[in-house]
Amino acid sequence: MSQPTAPIIHIQSLAKSYFRETLEIPVLQGLDLDIPAGGFYALMGPSGSGKTTLLNLIAGIDRPTGGLLEVCGSNLNQLNDDELASWRNENIGFIFQNYNLIPVLNAFENIELPLLLTSLTRAQRKEKVEEVLSLVNLMDRRENYPRQLSGGQEQRVAIARAIVGNPKVLVADEPTGALDAKNADEILEMMQRLNEEFGKTILIVTHDPKAANCARHQVHLEKGILDKTVEVNR
Amino acid sequence: MKFLHLVWKSLMRSKRRTFLILCTLILSVFLITILQSLLATLDAVSNKPTEGNRFVVRHKSGLTQFLPISYGEYLRQQPEVLAVANSQWFGGYYQDPKNFFANFANDETTMFQVFSDRISGLTEAEIKEYQRDRKGCIVGQILADKYGWKVGDTIPLTGTIFPMSPQLTIRGIFKGRMASEENTLYFHYKLLEEGVQFMKGKTGAFWIKTKTSDDIPRVANRIDTHFANSPVETMSEAENAFYLTFVKMLGNIGAIIHGVTIAVLIAITIVTVGTMSMAIKERTTEIAVLRAMGFSRARVLFLLMAEGLLLVTLGGALGIGLASLVAKILREILGSALIFLQDFRLANETILLCMGMALIIGFISTIIPALAATRRSIVEGLRAL
Ligand SMILES: Nc1ncnc2c1ncn2[C@@H]1O[C@H](COP(=O)(O)OP(=O)(O)OP(=O)(O)O)[C@@H](O)[C@H]1O
Ligand SMILES: [Mg+2]
Repeated sequence: MSQPTAPIIHIQSLAKSYFRETLEIPVLQGLDLDIPAGGFYALMGPSGSGKTTLLNLIAGIDRPTGGLLEVCGSNLNQLNDDELASWRNENIGFIFQNYNLIPVLNAFENIELPLLLTSLTRAQRKEKVEEVLSLVNLMDRRENYPRQLSGGQEQRVAIARAIVGNPKVLVADEPTGALDAKNADEILEMMQRLNEEFGKTILIVTHDPKAANCARHQVHLEKGILDKTVEVNR
Repeated sequence: MKFLHLVWKSLMRSKRRTFLILCTLILSVFLITILQSLLATLDAVSNKPTEGNRFVVRHKSGLTQFLPISYGEYLRQQPEVLAVANSQWFGGYYQDPKNFFANFANDETTMFQVFSDRISGLTEAEIKEYQRDRKGCIVGQILADKYGWKVGDTIPLTGTIFPMSPQLTIRGIFKGRMASEENTLYFHYKLLEEGVQFMKGKTGAFWIKTKTSDDIPRVANRIDTHFANSPVETMSEAENAFYLTFVKMLGNIGAIIHGVTIAVLIAITIVTVGTMSMAIKERTTEIAVLRAMGFSRARVLFLLMAEGLLLVTLGGALGIGLASLVAKILREILGSALIFLQDFRLANETILLCMGMALIIGFISTIIPALAATRRSIVEGLRAL
């Protein structure tokens, strides 16, 4: 697959600090990063280096203290909270380490959640949910509740939920961190497929070198500063 | 509407907790509804209009003693007096002691003047027919409906106070202003006199109608003075003297009922606030996940509020339903013993008041934790585990 030119994620001198009372704790400092549409990037680095923070900023669930943040054609700094919420609904799919499914909803209903915010009819929602259910191979588990699913199955439901609204970008914070090797492989394979077949731009945070090797680029963060970006030879 | 399913499932997250809080809500709403309705019913009964210009003359030493009918002569002579009707509580039942209702032997002519406010809907012909037939009777609409009686039916009345069980023919079915007034049967006073040896020339009470209510204290006093120091002394009471003492007592009952209502409200608010904050707090991560996928703050707030309001609406509706069921039972079972309970109903205002209170409780107890939950940043929410 040839690499598209215009970056879907464009970051310039991005800074993020936390404030404890008057004390400023800088986490990210003057970060520059461009990720092209269709890219598969793994974000690596020691614990506390700011990986989750960067991912949250890109996904629009956190606000930077400074710098430019352009994702999917929107300057996130210029969106208010409500605009940012519907922007996320349209553009970002989230995959978490702990799956974070809603325990009182079954697989189908969990996947349907992001679609409730759209103007789709019930029948259209059903069609889309079933489409992604079969994509993650869980058609027979549609009525099951999260507690009736294995970790790997839960994460597949979470992936289905992340892609059901057809977002351009998927963000995943240690998506395999809670899984055994076999299930982790399955999830990584699925993400590769989403990247290659469906052209999703994927950004994952991981400690696991094997997971990082599934990506096509690895970005290293060190104390809030981008260390280096390397291309992965697969 | 598509979010209702989500709201319902969230409410049923912990079935046991929801069940317990629902039971608490139902019981509280039930208690408040019943107490407030009781107050409203007592209020209505004690504020009956047009009873002002009627009073009763009875034996000074109580209701079980009788007055000579000849006293009526003097009573009728008083210039303020419009009509006098002798009246005796008969205390009979129909077929079975369970079928107990108010029944009186009353003067068959003057009673229509004295009790014109309580008895209506009879034609001239029906009244004439009743007055002509010594064994005739008139019954209230509710009573007639209850036993399926029609004009012309003969009904046996078994005496419990008097050794007499008359067979009475219904000559008319009248309407009253309230259920308790329609749950009544009247028959000829003379039938009682003829049937019971010791009642000959005697009566339990004289009901007297005056021109105005202002006349009552004067004429009552005159009557009691006139018969003072005679072998049979009288005691005159305004009809609403009973109600007046009642109203005074009601002041206290009212204060108690309002006090209990407020105490229950405070208790249920505390319990609901606790339950809702717990229910919302344990969902911190979930709320963050919903917001990450694009649910706005307002949307999440709306969902949480809907959940709280759904809970109290259920509790309120079931509580009021239970109360109206109990009101019906009270009316039917205890109504024969406590006459005023026949008018025991849940007023619309009471229902609205109780439902309103339930909704307000639901609103306050949800808005506080819900606002706190939606104000929290998504990142913070995702971190909380
Ligand atoms: N809300 C906060 N207040 C203050 N400091 C914070 C807050 N959130 C994160 N930090 C700090 O920011 C730094 C980066 O945190 P972040 O979670 O991004 O690290 P990370 O690279 O994802 O680490 P890990 O690999 O352990 O997940 C850490 O030093 C952390 O303590
Ligand atoms: Mg992290």
